[in-house]
Formats: sequence, C-alpha cells, structure tokens
Amino acid sequence: MMPRVVVAMSGGVDSSVAAALLRENGYDVIGVAMRLTSDDPRASANARQRCCSYEDFEDARRVAERMDFPFYVVDLREEFARSVIDPFVSEYLAGRTPNPCLLCNRWIKFDRLRQRARALGAQYVATGHYARIERAPNGRFRLRRAVDLGKDQSYFLFSLNQEELARTLFPLGTMTKEEVRARARALGLANADKPESQEICFVSEPGGYGDFVDRHADPARIRRGTIVSTDGEVLGLHAGIHRFTVGQRRGLRLSAPAPLYVHEIRPQRAEVVVGARETLGDLGLTARDVSLTDPAQMPAYPATVQVKIRYRHPLIPATLTLLDGDTAAVRFVAEQPAVTPGQACVFYLGDDVLGGGIIEAPIRE
Amino acid sequence: MEIYLDYNAGAPLRAEARKALAEFLTAEAGNPASVHRSGQRARRALERARAQVAALIDAAPRQLVFTSGGTEANNLAIFGAVKAQNARRKIITSLIEHSSILGPLKSLEAAGFLVRRLAPDGKGRISAKQVLDELDHTTALVTLGLANSETGAIQDLGPLAAPVRQAGALLHIDAAQAAGRMTLSVGRLNCDFMSLSGHKLGALAGIGALYVRDERLLNPLMFGGPQERGVRPGTPNVLGAVSMGAAAETVRSRLSEEINLMSVLTERLRSRLFQSIPGLALNGPLFGRIPNTLNLAFPGARGESLLIALDLEGVRVSMGSACAAGAVEPSHVLIAMGRSAREARSSLRLSLGPQLTLEAIDRAAIIIARVWERVAAAQSAEEEVCG
Repeated sequence: MMPRVVVAMSGGVDSSVAAALLRENGYDVIGVAMRLTSDDPRASANARQRCCSYEDFEDARRVAERMDFPFYVVDLREEFARSVIDPFVSEYLAGRTPNPCLLCNRWIKFDRLRQRARALGAQYVATGHYARIERAPNGRFRLRRAVDLGKDQSYFLFSLNQEELARTLFPLGTMTKEEVRARARALGLANADKPESQEICFVSEPGGYGDFVDRHADPARIRRGTIVSTDGEVLGLHAGIHRFTVGQRRGLRLSAPAPLYVHEIRPQRAEVVVGARETLGDLGLTARDVSLTDPAQMPAYPATVQVKIRYRHPLIPATLTLLDGDTAAVRFVAEQPAVTPGQACVFYLGDDVLGGGIIEAPIRE
Repeated sequence: MEIYLDYNAGAPLRAEARKALAEFLTAEAGNPASVHRSGQRARRALERARAQVAALIDAAPRQLVFTSGGTEANNLAIFGAVKAQNARRKIITSLIEHSSILGPLKSLEAAGFLVRRLAPDGKGRISAKQVLDELDHTTALVTLGLANSETGAIQDLGPLAAPVRQAGALLHIDAAQAAGRMTLSVGRLNCDFMSLSGHKLGALAGIGALYVRDERLLNPLMFGGPQERGVRPGTPNVLGAVSMGAAAETVRSRLSEEINLMSVLTERLRSRLFQSIPGLALNGPLFGRIPNTLNLAFPGARGESLLIALDLEGVRVSMGSACAAGAVEPSHVLIAMGRSAREARSSLRLSLGPQLTLEAIDRAAIIIARVWERVAAAQSAEEEVCG
C-alpha cells in the first residue's frame, strides 16, 4: 500500500499538478486546501488575483474530482493570524521587511499542516513548490534548488530540517514551469492556464501591505516621523516607517536632483534615511534565527558559500561564519546594495541549500 | 464500507418513495394545471401526495401547501404571518433555530421589526415560561423548532398555543427534524403553521410542505400563476411531492417501530462511545431528545479533524453548519448553549436513521473510538510542537 500524503492545494496549477503526479504514481493522496483568512467568500473582484479564495478552493476541488482523490478544506485561520499575520505586522512596525511566505511555510505548511496530516494517518506532506529533496548515499536529506532556476523556490524552504525533509515531497522539483503547465493540460485540469497569484495572499487592500498594516496595527504603534538624508538633514515627513523598505525609491514624495533611495530605517526615532544609489552598498550582514539543513555536514568556518539575500536576487559569493547560538555573519565578496533587515538570507553551495537565517542588520565596515 | 450517520442533514431516499417514483415515471404526466388527461394524471398524483403528507400531521389536505423545501416553508410562514398581523412588530424566536428561520427574521429586523431571540439552557432547551414572559399584545408571531437539528432537543411547545392565541399572536412550528422521529398533530399542538422538509423524511430533496391553519394567513413570496391557490405559484414539483407523499405514508405506518429501532441503535452507539472515550460529553439533554441524534463533544480532538478522518474511513458525520468556503464554523446552537468556541469546535453531530443496522452501529462505534484516539494523540503532539 503506497504511503498516504497530504497535498497542500491552493487551487493553482502548481499544487494541482503536484497532487495529480503523486496520484498517478500511486500515492494515497488527500488534497487539503487551507482556509487562512476570514475574507468574505463573495468578496471583491481583486480577490481573484490572490490566492485561496472560494473560487480557488473550487478549482482545487475540481482537480481532486478529476483525479479521484478526497479533498477537504481545513480551517487554520486562528493559527495563521497568530503565526503569520501578527509577526508580519510587528516586523513592519519595527522597521523591518518581513517575508510572510517564510513564516507560512515554517509554521503553517510544514508545521501545523504536517501535524494535521498525522491525525489523518498521512506520513508525508507535499506541495507544489519548485525545489528538490534528495537522499544522499549516507542517508541524509539534501534540499536543492529546482531544475527550473527561474522558478526555484528553495529560498522559502531553508528552515526545513532533516526530520521535516524526510517527510516532505516536492514533485515539481525536476520540472520546468512549462512542463508543469503542459502536464496540467494533458491531464485535462481546468486550471492549466490559470495566471499565477502575485501578491501576498492575505493582503487585499488596494494600497497594499502599507494599508494592511495601518488597518491591523494598534494605532499607538504607528509613528509618523521624518525622512532624513545621510547627513542628517530633514527632507520631509512620513506616515509610518512600515511603509518603507531598504532600497525603495518610489513613494518617498521628495523632490531632489537625483533619485533617492531608502538606506536605513531607524525604528527608535521613526526615521527613514535616504541617499543616492551609489552610497547604498553593504559589505555583509548578520542573521538571526539561523537554521541549517544538515548541521553535521557544514564545512569549517568561515565557509565559502553563495547566498541569496532576497527572493528575486541572484546567488552571490560570500563567506559564512556561524556565531553563538543561532546567529551568523555573512561577508559578501562584492558590495551589495540594500541589505534588508527582516528578509531571509539563504546559504547555498552550488544547488544545495545549506540553511539560512533572518537578516538582522547590514555590515557596513 | 460506508456508514451514514448524517440523517439530520438529509436521509437516503426511502424504498417506498423510490417505488412510487418509478411507478409514476412509467407513464407520461403533464402539468397538473392542464385540463387534458395527461395533466389530470399529474394532478391526481399531486393531490394524493398532499393527502398523504397531511395525514402525517393530522391536517386536512387543503391546509397543506407544497414548497421547494423546509427553507421556503419557513419563509412563507414567517413573512405570511407578519403581513397578516399588520401593525404588530414583535417576533419571538430562539437563538438555536435553523438558518432558514434566523435568516428571514434578520431581514425583518433590518426592516424595523423587534426580534427576541431566547437563549436556551445548557442542555439546549427553551422553556415555555421564557416565551410567555416575552409574549404581549405587540407580538405578531412566535416561531420555534420542535426538535433541534443539532442537538435533537425536543422543545416543550404544547403549552404555548393557548396563550399565544389569546395574545392575538400566531404560532409557527418548524417540524423539519421532528417529523419521522415523534408523533405530530397540528390539532394537539394547535399551531397556526407547521413546516416540513421532504429530504429529511426520506423523500427527494427540493420538496417541502407548509401546513397553515387558515389560508388567509399566507402571503405569496413569489408571484405568477394560480397554483397552490395563488399562494405559491409555479408548476408544482410533482416528482418531489410523490416522493414526499410516499415517505410520509411510510413514516406514518411505521412510526413506533422506527422510533424504537432508532432509540435502540442510538443508545447503543452512545453507551459504547461513552465507554471507550473518557471525557466524552453529550451536548443536549439525555432525555427529551429525538431518538436519533447524538451531539458529542470529544476531548482533545478537533471536530474538523475527526470529521475528515472519519470520512476517510467511510463514516459520515457532521459538525455545525457548513460554510460556503468549505471550512466549518462552530455551531451557533452550541455557542448559544454556553459552550466555548473550543468545545463547539470539538463537537460532532451523529444522526441516525431507520435504515441503519446493529452491525453498522457496532462497527461505527469501533471506528469512531479508534479515530478519536489517533486524532487526539496527534493534536496533543501538535500543541506541544506548535503551541
């Protein structure tokens, strides 16, 4: 009897094909869509572009019917609010730029959902992520970039440890996006040509995450402040540091001879520091909450690695040193602009993910 | 092997109903309103069904209107009653009613009516005294369910008819869950309206009936032709009515037997589950419940996880009312009874029917206990790991 696997289904083509492939390969598939927010199921038109609306669940349900496996919706709203939305808002208020997908993967998909899967007798959780899990000859698990490097989502999965990797399946890791869509069409799945969801799945405000934080934060925690130059000159006012991220150019509402970029956010003084692009360079970063895919297999420090400091960023050469507990220092070989506290820094060796952490601060000297 | 324990959501089509439908379908039947003989055949079947359903509740056939189901019957009763009552603006109901009663009342409330929603006790019962305390000369209608769909609690509605009538108000009884599980008599209950649901009796879905003591109390919600004396226009659902008539007649002839059988099966299931699941609790009264319903709070286990895990093993149960997006909200009935959201989320409703067997119940008891153990263990691990 093939093992039972719970497949997290969003209604999108990736998770649908992942589920379908596992079913074709004889796995005992249970499709599960997670209800993460309390949005009115009959909500506005723009809800369609995000993920996990009522229509999306119906898309997933249709795939389950077509491929003949059971499908259920599981209510994780409370857990999602506590583990993803609240920290998301807090991080922004603290002047950092969080990546909620990291939190969702870590706490919801590969934590809670896994536990629920066990309650249903499933040994595995699977998703439609583009990433690979392979077993090395010594029995250890490796997390690797997907074959389709343009779609690779290993960045979001760096916190998976050996135990979790042993119980996770990523069926799409060896496929390109085009192959996935073609497979969906061949299987007659209705969502084969469905456009991808682009925005943060729980932010439906037309004003984006800035408006979202405004709406969800305790008003006392939102502080207006000043926009200052790198020399300390006050250039303007802002309506809350949560509306800014390092490297940002738009939305500053300042007139200046040359474009200005956010260099730094100082939460204690509610200051946003801006400057010219040329001066926006960092030598490295410190990271906290560091986790390693396989602590036993790490090279000696300082280790020569590649790192990614945001999702849409190429791998860059760097050296990695683990400090006490779960912090690390990373030094880039070449200066990098806009190291952003709150984002993840993921360590790679070739295609292998070594681990990663959350960026604490840039190293400028 | 499937074990269906969700009769309160809908009963499988009864063999007698299936047979009546098959017979009816052997020949052509037209529109019951037509003059020609094809139409007359349909009309005869419709009127026969009407008489069968009326007999179930001791009513006269002309006092029965066929509808598209219990929901429409409730809507017709409520909107009909308030219109007939003209200037009176107060309506008395309870917090534990079905959404097809709470829905129309919410709409009336937005239009300026005063709606009093009585709170049940911890066992889900509304007392006659609560109703009488609210009853006054401004009351247009008292609308209450006879047997609660979630807990099975039987409400004491007998003492209400005389005082309600004396106050000049109307009494509507939603008997959708009571029919087939207890004797019903509009004479004894002395109500002005009674709603019935077809698929809960083992007829097709999409058919229901409304008893009305005096047809002047009815106002149409839809407008069109003269069918059902103009009160409920539209070509009647003859197939639905035929199935409901056959189901009603079967229920009437076998009521004591079926009540006995369901009592035995339900009590057997209840006692076995209580033996094998420490900390299990009944939501609802032990006595004064329709004989088929068990609403149970499971210790340390989410109802949603239990429901899914049971479904994967072929046991079909339910929890609260389903929400549009597929995930389930905690039962408003349990919350009204004073259960916490957490307790309500750990509850499942098991509802039996006369087609079940002893073997099926015994097997269900074993599966439910085993599934509960696994889900509770996983949940406690989850809480440890994830918080």
